[in-house]
Amino acid sequence: MTVSLLVALLAGGFVAGTFGALLGLGGGVFLIPYLVLVLGLPVHQAIATSIVAVIATSSAGAALNLERHTVNVRLGMLLEIATVLGAIAGGITANVLSGAVLTKLFSVLLFLAAILMVRRARNHTRTEPVHLDGVLPGIVPDDGTGNPVPYTVRRIPGVLGVSFVAGNVSGLLGIGGGIFKVPAMNMISGIPIKAAAATSNFMIGVTAAASAFIYFAHGHLHPMIGSAAALGVLFGSFTGVWLSRRIHSHVLVWIFAVVLLFTSIELYLR
Amino acid sequence: MANESPVIQPDNLVDHWASLVLRIGVWTSATLMAAALVLAAVHGFRIDLPAHPLTLPVLLQRLLSSSLDPVTLGFTGLVVLMLTPILRVIAAIVGFTVERDRTFVFVSLTVFIFLLAEVTYSLFIK
Repeated sequence: MTVSLLVALLAGGFVAGTFGALLGLGGGVFLIPYLVLVLGLPVHQAIATSIVAVIATSSAGAALNLERHTVNVRLGMLLEIATVLGAIAGGITANVLSGAVLTKLFSVLLFLAAILMVRRARNHTRTEPVHLDGVLPGIVPDDGTGNPVPYTVRRIPGVLGVSFVAGNVSGLLGIGGGIFKVPAMNMISGIPIKAAAATSNFMIGVTAAASAFIYFAHGHLHPMIGSAAALGVLFGSFTGVWLSRRIHSHVLVWIFAVVLLFTSIELYLR
Repeated sequence: MANESPVIQPDNLVDHWASLVLRIGVWTSATLMAAALVLAAVHGFRIDLPAHPLTLPVLLQRLLSSSLDPVTLGFTGLVVLMLTPILRVIAAIVGFTVERDRTFVFVSLTVFIFLLAEVTYSLFIK
C-alpha cells in the first residue's frame, strides 16, 4: 500500500460513485474495470471491493429514500428472499471460478448493462400506466406535479425470478444488480420507475451483504483497499445525487454506454 | 375491485427504524474506515496483513487486545458496513411485529435466517 495507491482508490471510487449516482447505478460497473484495468488488482479482490462500496452507497441512498417514503418496503423484503439466495449462490460460485472466467463474464455483463442503459434512456419520457388491481400498494410523488400517485404490484412471481438472477449476478460479479431489477419491476410489475429504483436500492445492501461475507471469509477483502474505495464511492455518490438535480443525464447515458461497450471489449480481449 | 383505489400504507415504523439503522451503520463504518486510513498514513503505510483470512472471533480478539492498528480498524469498519443491512432486516422484523403484520414478520424472518446462516458459516466456521 502506497500513498499513490490510496489517492488512486479514493479518486477512482469518487468518480465511479459520482457517475453511478448520476446514472442511477451503484457504481460497480465503473469501479471494477478501473480496479482491474487501471490499478491491476486481481478480479476477485476487485469484486470484493466493489461489493462493500455498493453496500455503502445503497445504505446511504436507502436511508434517504425511506425518509421520503418512496421505497415499497414490503415488496423489497419479499424480493430479498430471492436476491439473498441468488447472491449466496453467486458468491460461492465466484470463489470456485478462475479470474479469467470472471473477467469474461464481467465483460458480457458490461455489454448488457450498456444496452439496458440506452434502452432506459430512450423510454425515459414515456408516460407510465399505473395499475391499481395488484397487491402491496404503495405511493410515489409524480415527477412533474409532485402529487402522490398510488400504484400496486402485479405479477410477483416474474419479478421474483428476475430478482434471483440479479442477486446471483451481484454475488458473482460484485455489482448491485439494479440495472436488471429496476426495468423488471417497471415492465413486469407495473411499478413507477421512481419507486422501482428506490425499492431496488433498498434491497441492494442486503443482497451485497449476503455475498460480501463469502469474499471476506476467502481473504479477498483488503482492509485498506476496501476502506479507501468504499469511502471514495460513498462521497462520490453524494456528489452525483447533488449534480443530478442540476444537469440532464440523457447525454451522459449515451456517453457512458459507449464507454461501457469499449470497456467490455477491452476486458473480454484481456 | 380493479377500479377501487388501494389502501395506501401510511408513514410507518419500519421506514423510520430501517432508515435510522442504515444511517448509524454507514456513518459508524465510514468513521472507522477513515480512522484506519489516517492511522495507516501515520505509520507510513507499513501494513501487516494477517497470514490467513480473519474470522470474527479473531477480529474481536484483536479489537479487545487494544491493538488499534490500521488493519484491525479497517476490517472492523468493513464488517460494521457489511452488518448494517442485516441490522436493517432486524429493524424490519421488530417494526412489522409492532405493526402486527404477521405475513411480513415471517418474510423478514426468512431473509434474516438465510443471512444469519451464511454469515455464521463465513465468519465463525470457514
